[in-house]
Amino acid sequence: MGKVVGAFATSHSPGVTGWPERADPRKREAIETAFGEARRRIDELKPDAIVAISVEHFTNFNFSNLPAFAIATGDSYLGPVTAEMAEFINVPQHEYPGNGKLGRHIYEFALTNEFDPALVEGGLAFDENFCVPLKHLDPDSKYPLVPIILNGVNPPWPTAKRCYDFGEMVRHAVEAQNEVQRVVVIGTGGLSHWVGLPESGTVNEEFDRDFIARIESGDPEQIKNYSPQEIDAAGNGAHEVRTWIAAAGAIGAPFEVLAYEPVPEWLTGTAVAAATPGLNL
Amino acid sequence: MYGLHKLLWDIRKDSELAKRFRAQTSEVLNEYGLEGDSRQAMLTLDFKKLHEIGANPYLIYFCALQLQVGRESYYEQIREGKN
Repeated sequence: MGKVVGAFATSHSPGVTGWPERADPRKREAIETAFGEARRRIDELKPDAIVAISVEHFTNFNFSNLPAFAIATGDSYLGPVTAEMAEFINVPQHEYPGNGKLGRHIYEFALTNEFDPALVEGGLAFDENFCVPLKHLDPDSKYPLVPIILNGVNPPWPTAKRCYDFGEMVRHAVEAQNEVQRVVVIGTGGLSHWVGLPESGTVNEEFDRDFIARIESGDPEQIKNYSPQEIDAAGNGAHEVRTWIAAAGAIGAPFEVLAYEPVPEWLTGTAVAAATPGLNL
Repeated sequence: MYGLHKLLWDIRKDSELAKRFRAQTSEVLNEYGLEGDSRQAMLTLDFKKLHEIGANPYLIYFCALQLQVGRESYYEQIREGKN
Protein backbone atom coordinates (compact mmCIF):
# COMPACT_ATOMS: atom_id res chain seq x y z
CA MET A 1 0.00 0.00 0.00
CA GLY A 2 1.31 3.45 -0.87
CA LYS A 3 1.68 5.95 1.92
CA VAL A 4 1.95 9.71 2.33
CA VAL A 5 5.11 9.69 4.43
CA GLY A 6 5.38 13.41 4.95
CA ALA A 7 3.97 16.79 4.02
CA PHE A 8 5.61 20.15 3.66
CA ALA A 9 4.26 23.64 3.08
CA THR A 10 6.17 26.73 2.04
CA SER A 11 5.78 30.19 0.62
CA HIS A 12 6.79 30.64 -3.00
CA SER A 13 7.56 34.33 -3.20
CA PRO A 14 9.79 35.11 -6.18
CA GLY A 15 11.98 37.09 -3.78
CA VAL A 16 13.03 33.91 -1.95
CA THR A 17 15.21 32.95 -4.91
CA GLY A 18 15.12 36.08 -7.07
CA TRP A 19 16.33 38.69 -4.60
CA PRO A 20 17.09 36.98 -1.28
CA GLU A 21 19.69 39.61 -0.39
CA ARG A 22 17.06 42.33 -0.01
CA ALA A 23 15.63 40.70 3.12
CA ASP A 24 16.93 41.37 6.60
CA PRO A 25 19.93 38.97 6.85
CA ARG A 26 18.57 37.37 10.01
CA LYS A 27 15.21 36.68 8.38
CA ARG A 28 16.84 35.35 5.23
CA GLU A 29 19.00 32.99 7.25
CA ALA A 30 16.01 31.74 9.23
CA ILE A 31 14.03 30.97 6.09
CA GLU A 32 16.92 29.41 4.20
CA THR A 33 17.85 27.29 7.22
CA ALA A 34 14.26 26.08 7.41
CA PHE A 35 14.26 25.24 3.70
CA GLY A 36 17.48 23.30 4.29
CA GLU A 37 15.92 21.35 7.13
CA ALA A 38 12.85 20.58 5.00
CA ARG A 39 15.13 19.40 2.18
CA ARG A 40 17.03 17.16 4.63
CA ARG A 41 13.79 15.61 5.87
CA ILE A 42 12.49 15.03 2.35
CA ASP A 43 15.68 13.22 1.41
CA GLU A 44 15.50 11.18 4.59
CA LEU A 45 11.93 10.19 3.75
CA LYS A 46 13.18 8.79 0.41
CA PRO A 47 10.04 9.60 -1.56
CA ASP A 48 9.28 7.74 -4.76
CA ALA A 49 7.20 10.72 -5.90
CA ILE A 50 6.12 14.16 -4.76
CA VAL A 51 2.55 15.38 -5.09
CA ALA A 52 3.04 19.12 -5.41
CA ILE A 53 0.00 21.29 -4.77
CA SER A 54 -0.03 24.96 -5.67
CA VAL A 55 -1.89 27.68 -7.50
CA GLU A 56 -0.74 29.02 -10.82
CA HIS A 57 -0.66 32.70 -11.67
CA PHE A 58 -2.39 32.76 -15.05
CA THR A 59 0.64 31.04 -16.55
CA ASN A 60 -1.45 28.27 -18.09
CA PHE A 61 -5.07 28.82 -17.17
CA ASN A 62 -7.14 31.91 -17.90
CA PHE A 63 -10.75 32.97 -18.03
CA SER A 64 -11.40 30.64 -20.94
CA ASN A 65 -10.93 27.82 -18.45
CA LEU A 66 -10.15 28.37 -14.78
CA PRO A 67 -10.53 25.06 -12.92
CA ALA A 68 -11.08 24.91 -9.17
CA PHE A 69 -8.83 21.83 -9.10
CA ALA A 70 -6.65 20.34 -11.82
CA ILE A 71 -4.48 17.23 -11.73
CA ALA A 72 -1.56 16.90 -14.14
CA THR A 73 -0.55 13.56 -15.58
CA GLY A 74 2.48 14.49 -17.64
CA ASP A 75 5.90 12.87 -17.59
CA SER A 76 7.73 16.20 -17.57
CA TYR A 77 7.05 19.89 -16.99
CA LEU A 78 8.87 22.98 -18.19
CA GLY A 79 9.79 25.53 -15.58
CA PRO A 80 10.12 28.42 -15.33
CA VAL A 81 7.74 29.01 -18.21
CA THR A 82 9.94 31.59 -19.99
CA ALA A 83 13.58 32.62 -20.03
CA GLU A 84 12.48 36.00 -18.65
CA MET A 85 10.81 34.39 -15.67
CA ALA A 86 13.85 32.15 -15.16
CA GLU A 87 15.99 35.26 -14.87
CA PHE A 88 13.43 37.02 -12.66
CA ILE A 89 13.25 34.24 -10.08
CA ASN A 90 16.83 33.05 -10.60
CA VAL A 91 15.93 29.46 -11.37
CA PRO A 92 17.51 27.81 -14.45
CA GLN A 93 14.89 26.80 -16.98
CA HIS A 94 14.67 23.02 -17.22
CA GLU A 95 12.35 20.05 -17.41
CA TYR A 96 11.05 18.70 -14.12
CA PRO A 97 10.31 14.97 -14.08
CA GLY A 98 6.71 13.86 -13.68
CA ASN A 99 5.06 10.66 -12.56
CA GLY A 100 2.21 10.61 -15.04
CA LYS A 101 0.99 7.21 -13.98
CA LEU A 102 0.48 8.27 -10.36
CA GLY A 103 -1.15 11.47 -11.56
CA ARG A 104 -3.55 9.48 -13.71
CA HIS A 105 -4.36 7.21 -10.78
CA ILE A 106 -5.14 10.16 -8.50
CA TYR A 107 -7.27 11.73 -11.22
CA GLU A 108 -9.29 8.56 -11.75
CA PHE A 109 -9.57 8.00 -7.99
CA ALA A 110 -10.89 11.55 -7.59
CA LEU A 111 -13.65 11.01 -10.12
CA THR A 112 -14.92 7.97 -8.25
CA ASN A 113 -14.69 9.74 -4.90
CA GLU A 114 -16.90 12.77 -5.36
CA PHE A 115 -14.30 15.12 -6.87
CA ASP A 116 -14.29 16.38 -10.44
CA PRO A 117 -10.91 17.96 -11.15
CA ALA A 118 -9.76 19.07 -14.56
CA LEU A 119 -7.37 16.74 -16.36
CA VAL A 120 -4.07 18.16 -17.63
CA GLU A 121 -2.30 15.52 -19.68
CA GLY A 122 0.47 17.85 -20.86
CA GLY A 123 1.54 21.38 -21.59
CA LEU A 124 1.52 22.54 -17.99
CA ALA A 125 4.40 24.91 -17.31
CA PHE A 126 5.56 26.07 -13.91
CA ASP A 127 5.97 29.60 -12.63
CA GLU A 128 7.18 30.57 -9.17
CA ASN A 129 4.53 28.23 -7.74
CA PHE A 130 6.81 25.21 -7.91
CA CYS A 131 10.13 26.56 -9.23
CA VAL A 132 10.90 28.73 -6.20
CA PRO A 133 10.34 26.19 -3.41
CA LEU A 134 11.74 23.26 -5.40
CA LYS A 135 15.00 25.13 -5.91
CA HIS A 136 15.45 24.70 -2.16
CA LEU A 137 13.59 21.44 -1.56
CA ASP A 138 14.78 19.42 -4.56
CA PRO A 139 17.56 21.41 -6.24
CA ASP A 140 18.54 18.57 -8.57
CA SER A 141 14.94 17.83 -9.60
CA LYS A 142 15.43 14.18 -8.73
CA TYR A 143 11.91 13.41 -7.50
CA PRO A 144 9.11 12.86 -10.05
CA LEU A 145 6.18 15.16 -9.52
CA VAL A 146 2.43 15.01 -9.69
CA PRO A 147 1.45 18.68 -9.91
CA ILE A 148 -1.99 19.63 -8.65
CA ILE A 149 -3.30 23.13 -9.23
CA LEU A 150 -6.07 24.72 -7.26
CA ASN A 151 -7.59 28.11 -7.88
CA GLY A 152 -6.24 30.66 -5.44
CA VAL A 153 -6.09 33.58 -7.84
CA ASN A 154 -9.65 34.57 -8.63
CA PRO A 155 -12.94 34.42 -6.73
CA PRO A 156 -14.91 32.38 -6.13
CA TRP A 157 -12.30 30.06 -4.73
CA PRO A 158 -12.83 26.50 -3.54
CA THR A 159 -13.71 26.54 0.15
CA ALA A 160 -11.14 25.77 2.81
CA LYS A 161 -13.13 22.67 3.70
CA ARG A 162 -13.15 21.52 0.11
CA CYS A 163 -9.39 21.98 -0.11
CA TYR A 164 -8.83 19.99 3.08
CA ASP A 165 -11.14 17.24 1.84
CA PHE A 166 -9.34 17.24 -1.52
CA GLY A 167 -6.09 16.64 0.35
CA GLU A 168 -7.66 13.76 2.23
CA MET A 169 -8.79 12.32 -1.08
CA VAL A 170 -5.20 12.51 -2.35
CA ARG A 171 -4.05 10.54 0.69
CA HIS A 172 -6.67 7.87 0.09
CA ALA A 173 -5.71 7.72 -3.58
CA VAL A 174 -2.06 7.14 -2.68
CA GLU A 175 -3.11 4.39 -0.28
CA ALA A 176 -5.29 2.76 -2.94
CA GLN A 177 -2.33 1.85 -5.15
CA ASN A 178 0.81 -0.19 -4.61
CA GLU A 179 3.21 0.93 -7.29
CA VAL A 180 4.43 4.13 -5.65
CA GLN A 181 5.15 3.32 -2.06
CA ARG A 182 6.45 6.51 -0.53
CA VAL A 183 4.84 9.84 -1.38
CA VAL A 184 5.63 13.29 -0.06
CA VAL A 185 3.07 16.06 -0.45
CA ILE A 186 4.13 19.68 -0.78
CA GLY A 187 1.80 22.67 -0.68
CA THR A 188 3.14 26.06 -1.75
CA GLY A 189 1.83 29.60 -1.49
CA GLY A 190 0.98 32.38 0.97
CA LEU A 191 1.09 33.48 3.61
CA SER A 192 -0.29 37.03 3.67
CA HIS A 193 0.47 39.14 0.61
CA TRP A 194 -1.07 41.38 -1.98
CA VAL A 195 -0.33 41.13 -5.71
CA GLY A 196 -0.99 44.04 -8.04
CA LEU A 197 -2.85 45.93 -5.31
CA PRO A 198 -2.00 49.10 -3.39
CA GLU A 199 -1.21 47.12 -0.22
CA SER A 200 1.58 45.19 -1.97
CA GLY A 201 4.62 45.00 0.28
CA THR A 202 2.67 44.86 3.52
CA VAL A 203 2.31 41.75 5.65
CA ASN A 204 -0.60 40.82 7.91
CA GLU A 205 1.38 39.22 10.70
CA GLU A 206 -1.68 38.72 12.89
CA PHE A 207 -3.34 36.60 10.20
CA ASP A 208 -0.13 34.70 9.54
CA ARG A 209 0.47 33.81 13.18
CA ASP A 210 -3.14 32.75 13.64
CA PHE A 211 -2.90 30.56 10.54
CA ILE A 212 0.33 29.03 11.84
CA ALA A 213 -1.32 28.27 15.19
CA ARG A 214 -4.14 26.50 13.41
CA ILE A 215 -1.88 24.50 11.10
CA GLU A 216 0.26 23.50 14.09
CA SER A 217 -2.80 22.44 16.08
CA GLY A 218 -3.53 19.61 13.68
CA ASP A 219 -7.23 20.21 14.37
CA PRO A 220 -9.00 19.93 11.01
CA GLU A 221 -11.95 22.02 12.15
CA GLN A 222 -9.71 25.02 12.84
CA ILE A 223 -8.28 24.76 9.36
CA LYS A 224 -11.47 24.02 7.47
CA ASN A 225 -13.61 26.82 8.84
CA TYR A 226 -11.82 29.75 7.19
CA SER A 227 -14.19 31.98 5.25
CA PRO A 228 -13.08 33.72 2.06
CA GLN A 229 -13.52 37.05 3.87
CA GLU A 230 -11.15 36.03 6.66
CA ILE A 231 -8.48 35.08 4.14
CA ASP A 232 -9.11 38.20 2.07
CA ALA A 233 -8.01 40.32 5.04
CA ALA A 234 -4.51 39.02 4.39
CA GLY A 235 -4.51 39.90 0.70
CA ASN A 236 -5.43 38.38 -2.63
CA GLY A 237 -2.24 36.31 -2.46
CA ALA A 238 -3.23 34.85 0.90
CA HIS A 239 -5.83 32.74 -0.87
CA GLU A 240 -2.90 30.50 -1.73
CA VAL A 241 -3.05 29.14 1.84
CA ARG A 242 -5.58 26.71 0.40
CA THR A 243 -2.53 24.77 -0.80
CA TRP A 244 -1.35 24.42 2.82
CA ILE A 245 -4.85 23.37 3.82
CA ALA A 246 -4.89 20.69 1.11
CA ALA A 247 -1.46 19.47 2.27
CA ALA A 248 -2.81 19.32 5.82
CA GLY A 249 -5.65 17.14 4.60
CA ALA A 250 -3.18 14.91 2.79
CA ILE A 251 -1.10 14.20 5.90
CA GLY A 252 -3.80 14.44 8.59
CA ALA A 253 -1.27 15.49 11.21
CA PRO A 254 -0.04 18.71 12.85
CA PHE A 255 2.58 20.75 11.05
CA GLU A 256 5.71 22.04 12.68
CA VAL A 257 6.45 25.53 11.39
CA LEU A 258 10.23 25.55 10.92
CA ALA A 259 10.35 29.30 10.31
CA TYR A 260 8.06 32.25 9.90
CA GLU A 261 9.22 35.72 9.05
CA PRO A 262 7.28 38.74 7.82
CA VAL A 263 9.43 39.84 4.87
CA PRO A 264 8.09 42.98 3.16
CA GLU A 265 11.07 42.92 0.78
CA TRP A 266 9.77 39.59 -0.55
CA LEU A 267 6.21 40.94 -0.35
CA THR A 268 5.02 38.05 1.84
CA GLY A 269 4.68 36.56 5.23
CA THR A 270 7.17 33.79 4.52
CA ALA A 271 7.06 30.39 6.17
CA VAL A 272 8.31 26.82 5.87
CA ALA A 273 6.50 23.96 7.61
CA ALA A 274 6.82 20.21 7.87
CA ALA A 275 4.63 17.35 9.02
CA THR A 276 6.76 14.25 9.30
CA PRO A 277 5.15 12.18 12.02
CA GLY A 278 6.90 8.97 11.01
CA LEU A 279 10.38 10.34 10.74
CA ASN A 280 12.96 9.52 13.37
CA LEU A 281 14.59 12.87 13.93
CA MET B 1 -15.33 41.46 -18.61
CA TYR B 2 -14.25 38.40 -20.57
CA GLY B 3 -12.96 40.47 -23.47
CA LEU B 4 -10.91 42.65 -21.11
CA HIS B 5 -9.53 39.67 -19.24
CA LYS B 6 -8.69 37.95 -22.50
CA LEU B 7 -6.82 41.03 -23.72
CA LEU B 8 -4.89 41.38 -20.45
CA TRP B 9 -3.93 37.69 -20.56
CA ASP B 10 -3.05 37.70 -24.24
CA ILE B 11 -0.80 40.74 -23.84
CA ARG B 12 0.91 39.06 -20.91
CA LYS B 13 1.54 35.92 -22.95
CA ASP B 14 2.31 37.44 -26.36
CA SER B 15 5.05 40.04 -26.63
CA GLU B 16 4.17 40.69 -30.29
CA LEU B 17 0.62 41.58 -29.28
CA ALA B 18 2.03 43.83 -26.57
CA LYS B 19 4.08 45.67 -29.21
CA ARG B 20 1.09 45.97 -31.51
CA PHE B 21 -1.07 47.20 -28.64
CA ARG B 22 1.37 50.01 -27.97
CA ALA B 23 1.51 50.98 -31.66
CA GLN B 24 -2.11 50.42 -32.69
CA THR B 25 -4.11 50.58 -29.48
CA SER B 26 -7.53 51.35 -30.96
CA GLU B 27 -7.28 48.60 -33.55
CA VAL B 28 -6.44 46.01 -30.91
CA LEU B 29 -9.24 47.23 -28.65
CA ASN B 30 -11.63 46.87 -31.58
CA GLU B 31 -10.48 43.31 -32.17
CA TYR B 32 -11.29 42.45 -28.55
CA GLY B 33 -14.60 44.30 -28.67
CA LEU B 34 -13.78 46.56 -25.75
CA GLU B 35 -16.09 49.49 -25.17
CA GLY B 36 -17.00 51.90 -22.38
CA ASP B 37 -14.95 52.05 -19.17
CA SER B 38 -12.69 49.14 -19.99
CA ARG B 39 -11.83 50.62 -23.40
CA GLN B 40 -11.12 54.02 -21.91
CA ALA B 41 -9.00 52.51 -19.15
CA MET B 42 -6.91 50.55 -21.64
CA LEU B 43 -6.55 53.54 -23.95
CA THR B 44 -5.03 55.58 -21.13
CA LEU B 45 -3.44 52.64 -19.26
CA ASP B 46 -5.44 53.68 -16.22
CA PHE B 47 -4.69 50.68 -14.02
CA LYS B 48 -6.55 52.09 -11.06
CA LYS B 49 -9.68 52.26 -13.19
CA LEU B 50 -9.19 48.65 -14.28
CA HIS B 51 -9.20 47.67 -10.61
CA GLU B 52 -12.34 49.69 -9.99
CA ILE B 53 -14.25 47.96 -12.75
CA GLY B 54 -13.35 44.57 -11.34
CA ALA B 55 -10.52 43.22 -13.47
CA ASN B 56 -8.31 40.62 -11.82
CA PRO B 57 -5.32 42.31 -10.07
CA TYR B 58 -2.86 39.64 -11.19
CA LEU B 59 -3.78 40.15 -14.83
CA ILE B 60 -3.69 43.95 -14.60
CA TYR B 61 -0.25 43.84 -13.00
CA PHE B 62 1.23 41.25 -15.38
CA CYS B 63 -0.15 43.11 -18.40
CA ALA B 64 1.37 46.36 -17.13
CA LEU B 65 4.77 44.72 -16.81
CA GLN B 66 4.54 43.32 -20.33
CA LEU B 67 3.71 46.82 -21.59
CA GLN B 68 7.03 47.96 -20.09
CA VAL B 69 5.43 49.81 -17.20
CA GLY B 70 7.91 49.58 -14.34
CA ARG B 71 6.85 48.01 -11.06
CA GLU B 72 7.39 51.25 -9.18
CA SER B 73 5.38 53.24 -11.71
CA TYR B 74 2.58 50.70 -11.59
CA TYR B 75 2.28 50.77 -7.83
CA GLU B 76 2.64 54.54 -7.72
CA GLN B 77 -0.27 54.85 -10.11
CA ILE B 78 -2.66 52.50 -8.32
CA ARG B 79 -1.78 54.00 -4.94
CA GLU B 80 -2.02 57.63 -5.94
CA GLY B 81 -4.07 57.55 -9.11
CA LYS B 82 -1.24 58.92 -11.23
CA ASN B 83 -1.10 57.93 -14.87
